[in-house]
Amino acid sequence: MSENDFYRPEDLDRLRMENELLAFEVRFLKARSGGPPDVAGSPVSLSRMTHLEEAETDLKLLLRRINNSPLGPVARTNKNFKTLNNRYLKRSEDAMSMAPAQRVAYLEGAERDLVLLLGRLGRWPLGVAFRRRKSFRTLQERYL
Amino acid sequence: MEGIATDRPEHPVFYAGRFSEQVTDAGLPGDQTVLSDWDVLPSQLSSALERASVLVVLDMLSFPFESLTGDLQDVPLILLLPAGFDANFLMTVFGKAALSKLSFFDRIAAADDVWTEVRQIYGFTEGQRLDIDDDRLGRAAAEIWAALEAESALHAPLGEGAYEADRYWTARGDALAGGAPHRAICSVNHSSRFNKAIHRVQAKALGPQFAAARGTQADEIPFDVLEVGAGIGRWAASFDLAKTRFTGVDISEGMVEAARQNFSQCRFDLLGEEPVLPYGDESFDLSFSVTVMHHNPTPTKWALISEMWRVTRPGGRLMFLEDFVSGGWSATSTVYPMSVNEFVELLVEATAGQVVLEHVESIRYRHDDFTRGGLLSVSKLGVAKTW
Repeated sequence: MSENDFYRPEDLDRLRMENELLAFEVRFLKARSGGPPDVAGSPVSLSRMTHLEEAETDLKLLLRRINNSPLGPVARTNKNFKTLNNRYLKRSEDAMSMAPAQRVAYLEGAERDLVLLLGRLGRWPLGVAFRRRKSFRTLQERYL
Repeated sequence: MEGIATDRPEHPVFYAGRFSEQVTDAGLPGDQTVLSDWDVLPSQLSSALERASVLVVLDMLSFPFESLTGDLQDVPLILLLPAGFDANFLMTVFGKAALSKLSFFDRIAAADDVWTEVRQIYGFTEGQRLDIDDDRLGRAAAEIWAALEAESALHAPLGEGAYEADRYWTARGDALAGGAPHRAICSVNHSSRFNKAIHRVQAKALGPQFAAARGTQADEIPFDVLEVGAGIGRWAASFDLAKTRFTGVDISEGMVEAARQNFSQCRFDLLGEEPVLPYGDESFDLSFSVTVMHHNPTPTKWALISEMWRVTRPGGRLMFLEDFVSGGWSATSTVYPMSVNEFVELLVEATAGQVVLEHVESIRYRHDDFTRGGLLSVSKLGVAKTW
């Protein structure tokens, strides 16, 4: 790869595995150094925490995509969707300062909400626009 | 010096120093570069070695070894020890600058008596020796060139059809371990420079963890080490074998045979068809594997991890340096992709959770544009069955 080229991974699985590996290492280093409260003393395994954090990230990305898509205005009329927007996009900074047990509960909630959202979008008549996208289908394969 | 084009494929570079005419006159038949003692200014040497598959130093007395820094250290070396000098003289002159820095992928051409002494002092392996019949420079260069050609031309009958780990690694090891050992243990389709670069990155990660595994154990107590998938035994060289009882196990008879020749003071055993380690419970202080697990399907991984845990003493370490990032699986692929999270889950399951995570390190190889490898080290929980 020449120095002027940007890193453009084309294989989504490879990118996911690389993210997992790097996140796992970071979590280990933080835990070993007795780092911030989001990891130190957590009873949940490192690999599980990494998975939950990935689910939270995927959920935020999905919400942003929906908001920015032509279906965004329609979606924002839904009360549940507005709740998700508030919880994960507008107040997500609060989650960083939570106590370990609270943060685990928050992340597990994010994983549950992601599964519900993917399920609803899959059944939604207008969801066909999302199902055409490979990245959306990848999320469905991973979490449903 | 012959013209150097940056788009040339990798090729051998011969440093003939003060005797370049002799080597040029020898008329080596291939695509190689011959350097004289006028070509050793740092920028010239760096440019000449940019596409070198191997650097053959025929005139050691005039070669600036201190110039081999940075990426140039990835170039495998073949050193022709000057004839007419005894081992003590050679070790005094070249010990610090060259001999002590050689790695498993570097080789030496020397007379029998000198080789025996040098090998003993620096712990070189039999596989690191190149046999040269005629030490006149032109003839020696031709012999080395022929040996390199023979190694790269050696064919490994890897079979047709879908990949099966047992069959593939047995066939590959048996075919290459004797004639081209360095191709047998790393990437068979890449040059030894590529493989040395990978080895150096892995060694840098493993070295401190091997030391940590030994910890504060007294020198008088032998450190029992097991490598699963030991190949020709390259990682044995990372231990002080005067204080370590190194045992390796491999599926290929050819590999085991080559490993025994390389490290006669160590033990190497053949693994049977079933992934059952032929050792008693709690026999080792450290059990490790390097790029072995990712070549095996999940049930084999599970069985090997479980066996490694069984033969490791409580408080001892298990280490895995593997690829945790790869593309999709295909019938011709030799890698069974498994992410680090999946591997950790398997590790916890195969050991009934009786391990504690001691070290995690991601590993990025120089030729990759992404992070692929990872080193996991865990210690075994429990109380020893015997004291």
